[in-house]
Amino acid sequence: MAKPPAIRVAPSAARTIATAGGGRSNMLMWMQGLLCGGLVALLPPTALLLGALLGPALLALCLDGQPGKPVARGVLLCSLAACVTPVRVLWGAGQTMAASVALASNPNTLGTAWSAAAAGWLLAELIPLGVRMVLETLSLAQAARLRTVRAALAAEWGLDGAGEPPSPPG
Amino acid sequence: MSPTKAAVRGGTPRTTRSSLVNQFAGYSAAMARAPTPAPATFPSAGSLINGQFRVEIARPLPGAGGGLPAFAVTDVRDGQTGLMAVQVRRHLPVRDQALQILSGVSVDGLLTPLAYGAAPAQGGEEAGFLICHAPPGPALSATLRVWPEAELLTLLLRPIARVLDQLAQRGLSHRGIRLDNVFRAGLGHPVTLGCAWATPPAALQPAVAEPPYVAICRPGSRGDGTVADDVYALGVLMLTLALGRAPLAGVDEAEIIRQKLDQGSHAVLLGEQRVGHFVGDLLRGMLAEDPEHRPPPSLLLDPATARSRRTAARPPQRAPRPIEVGNVVCWHARMLANALATQPELGLRALKTGAIGQWLRRSLGDGALAVRLDEQLGFRAAGNTPGVRGEGARGDGANGEGGGETGAEAGGENNLSLMRAVATLDQLAPMCWNGLNLWPDAIGTTLAEAMQDPAAPANAEIAGRVAGLVGGEAQTAWARLRPDRADSKRLRMDVRQVQALLHLPGAVGGLARMTYQLNPLLPCMGAGLDGRWVVRLGDLMLALEATARRDRALARPISAGIAAFIAARGDRGLEPLVSRLGDLTGTADPLAQLRLLAQMQARYHPKPLPALGAWIAERVETLLGKWHSRPRRAELRPQLRELAASGQLSALLALLDDPQAHRSDDDEVQQAARDLARIDAALAMLAAGGPARGEQARRLGQEVAAGLGLSALALMLVIAAFG
Repeated sequence: MAKPPAIRVAPSAARTIATAGGGRSNMLMWMQGLLCGGLVALLPPTALLLGALLGPALLALCLDGQPGKPVARGVLLCSLAACVTPVRVLWGAGQTMAASVALASNPNTLGTAWSAAAAGWLLAELIPLGVRMVLETLSLAQAARLRTVRAALAAEWGLDGAGEPPSPPG
Repeated sequence: MSPTKAAVRGGTPRTTRSSLVNQFAGYSAAMARAPTPAPATFPSAGSLINGQFRVEIARPLPGAGGGLPAFAVTDVRDGQTGLMAVQVRRHLPVRDQALQILSGVSVDGLLTPLAYGAAPAQGGEEAGFLICHAPPGPALSATLRVWPEAELLTLLLRPIARVLDQLAQRGLSHRGIRLDNVFRAGLGHPVTLGCAWATPPAALQPAVAEPPYVAICRPGSRGDGTVADDVYALGVLMLTLALGRAPLAGVDEAEIIRQKLDQGSHAVLLGEQRVGHFVGDLLRGMLAEDPEHRPPPSLLLDPATARSRRTAARPPQRAPRPIEVGNVVCWHARMLANALATQPELGLRALKTGAIGQWLRRSLGDGALAVRLDEQLGFRAAGNTPGVRGEGARGDGANGEGGGETGAEAGGENNLSLMRAVATLDQLAPMCWNGLNLWPDAIGTTLAEAMQDPAAPANAEIAGRVAGLVGGEAQTAWARLRPDRADSKRLRMDVRQVQALLHLPGAVGGLARMTYQLNPLLPCMGAGLDGRWVVRLGDLMLALEATARRDRALARPISAGIAAFIAARGDRGLEPLVSRLGDLTGTADPLAQLRLLAQMQARYHPKPLPALGAWIAERVETLLGKWHSRPRRAELRPQLRELAASGQLSALLALLDDPQAHRSDDDEVQQAARDLARIDAALAMLAAGGPARGEQARRLGQEVAAGLGLSALALMLVIAAFG
C-alpha cells in the first residue's frame, strides 16, 4: 500500500499548532478541574457520592491511552447511567453528607455502579470483535461472489491465462 | 509413322495404299456414322468439348496431327463429319491469338481451328484437344515422290500462297509448313495446310524447314515470326518435292544451322542438286536469309512475277583468316555472332580481350562494324577486370564477373553486352541472352516450356535467364539495335507490363504468374491437380474439389502454382485475395484459402463443393480460434459443420468472416479484460484489507459501545425524570 505523502510543516507553524492543541487540552483540563472543584465546593455530598460511584470510570480515564479514550468513555457513560438513581435518592434525602456516605457505602449501590462500569468496559472490548467478525464475513462473501463472476468471464472469453486471481482474504 | 503402322498398332483393320486416298475424310465420316461407345472410364456427358465435340480416343488418326496425336471427333450437336482432335502438349500451349482470329473463319486449303478444350485422353488423364477439320488425305510425307514443276506451281505453291496471303491479311502466320503437315486428297488435288495452332509457332518445325535464326531457338522460343518465315518453309517444301526427298536428311540440326549460317540457306539446301530453272529462281528468293528479301505470298500467287523479282542480297563478307571462338571457326560476322550466341562465356572473353574487334578491323577489314561494336560495348578501363557498360541490367549472374560490382549485376551487364554484340554483328539474329536464344514475343512460351519440370536444373536455369532478360529490359535494348525491324516503343511498353508482374510480391507476382499471364491457354500446372487439364477457373474449382475429395489430409487446396494461375486468369478483384494467402510453403491459413475459394465459387462455379467444405470443416477449430467468445464459438461450430457439408463456401465465409461481429467480439473481449482487471483489483483489495477492517471494526465497536452507554444514561435520566 502506498504511503501517504509526508507533509513538511515549518517549525514555527508546528509550534503554533502544538501550542493551540495543548492550550485547548489544558483549558479542558482546567474546565474539568473547575467543574469538579465547583461541584466539591457547592455540592460536597453529591461530589462524594459520585466520586465513590465513578471511581472505576475515573481509573479508566487515567489508564486509557487511546486517543479519545473510547474505553473510558464507555465505562464513564455506563457508570453515569448507574449513578442517576443514587444521586436522585441523595437529592431526595436532602443532600446530606450522611446520606451521601450511607449511599456510597451501600454495597448494592456501589456494586451496581461498579458493575455498570464493568459492563461498559466489556461492551467496549467485545463489540469491536463482533463488528470485526461481521466485516470479515461480508468480505468473504464479496470475494466469493467476485471469484464466481471472474471465473465466468474467464471461461466465456478464454482469458484463463490472464493471471491468477488474488488469494482469498484470511 | 505411317498410317498403316499406326492402324495396326491401334487395332483397326489394315488399309491398302490406294484406300489411303481421301482416307481421313472418309474414315472420319465412317467413324462418325459408326457409333463406337466411349470407354467406360470416360463419361461421355462430361467429356464434350464446347458442349458439342466428343473426342473418340479409341479411334486415332495417324499422321493427321502433323506430329501431334490426332483422334476422330463426333459432333453430337450439329452432326458434322470429317473432324479431328489434335492433342495438345501440356507445356507447349496452343496459339490463343490464332484461335481468336480464326474463330468462325473458314479458309480454303487450311485446317482452321473450331474449338479447344479438355477431354479424357489415353491413360485416364485429361488432355487438351484442339478441334479442327480432318485433313482431306494423307500427309505429303506419306507419298513422297518427285513432283513435276507444273504440279508444284499449281497444286502446291499457289494454294499455299493463297492461304498465307489470307493469314497475312489477318496478321497471322502459319509456321507449320513441313512435309508431314501438308496434306493432299489425291493426285490432281491442291494441298491443304495442316493444323499449326496446337503448339507455339514453329515448335514442331525441323531445323531444315526454318531459317537459321529461328531454328537456333528452342521449340517454345521461336515466336510468331512473319509470313516471310512461312515463305521460307514453303521454299524448303517445294525443294523437297522437287527433289523427291528431304534435303540434308540425316544431318544433325546444329550442323544444319551452322551450315546455313556459314554458306547461306539456298546454297546449303540445294547444294549440288539440280532443280528446274523456274523453281530454282523461285527458291533463290524464297530461301533468302533476310525475311525482307523473300517474296510475299501475294507475289507468289503469280510465280512468273515472283521469279522475276530479284533482290540483291550480298553474301556475307569472308575474312582471309578466321577467328575461333571455342570450337567454332568463323569466317564472317554472321558465324561470329552465332558463335557468341551459342558459347556465351567464351564469346564474352573474346570480346573483353579485344580479339574480336581486332579481327573485325584487321582480318575482315570492316572497321565500321568494329566501331559500332565498340560503341555498343564501351568497355571500361578497370585494370584487368573489365566490366561492360549496360542499362542497369539485372541478370541471373550466370556470367558474373567484374571488379567492384556484385556477381548478379556484373552477370546481367555481361549478358546485355553480349546480346548487343550479337545484334550488332548480325541484324537478323534473335535475342541471345546468356546462351538462350529467343524472339521477344516468345518469352511466354519459353517460360511455359521451362515449366515442364520446374525442378530440373536446365529448366530452372532457363527460367532464371528469362527473368534476368525481362528484369534488364533486354528486349528494348535489342530492338533499339534494329530500329527498322522492331518497334522498340511497343516492346518497351510490353516489357514494363511484364516487369510489373515479375516484381509483384507474393503469389500474384513472379515467374509463375508471368508465365500464365503470357500464355492465356496454358493449363494450370499447380501441384495436386492429378493431371487434370485446367484452363478455366470454373474447371479449377472442379479439380480442387476432386483433389480435396481424394486427399483429406491435403495441406492446402491452393498451392503457390495454383495461386499464380488464379491471379493470372481471374479478374482483378481476386488479386488481393491471392496476396492475402501469404506464405504458401508453411502452414496454410484456412481462412485466407476459404476467402479465395468462396469468391471463386461465387464467380466461376456456383455449385456446392462439399469436399472443399469438408477440408474447411476439418480446420474449424483453427477458424473459430479467431473468435474470443467461447459461447459464440460453440454456437458457430454446428452451423459451420452444416454449411461445410452443404458445400456453400460463401455462406461459410459469411459466418466466419463477419467484420461487424468480429469488431463486436474484439470490443467485448476488451471490456471483459477490463472487468477482469477490476475484479482482480477488488479481490486484491479484499485480500490486503484485513488490518483496515480490524481498525474499522475497533472504531465502530467502540462507538457502538459508547452509544449503548449513552443510551443507557439517557434511559436512566428519562426514568428519573418521569418515574
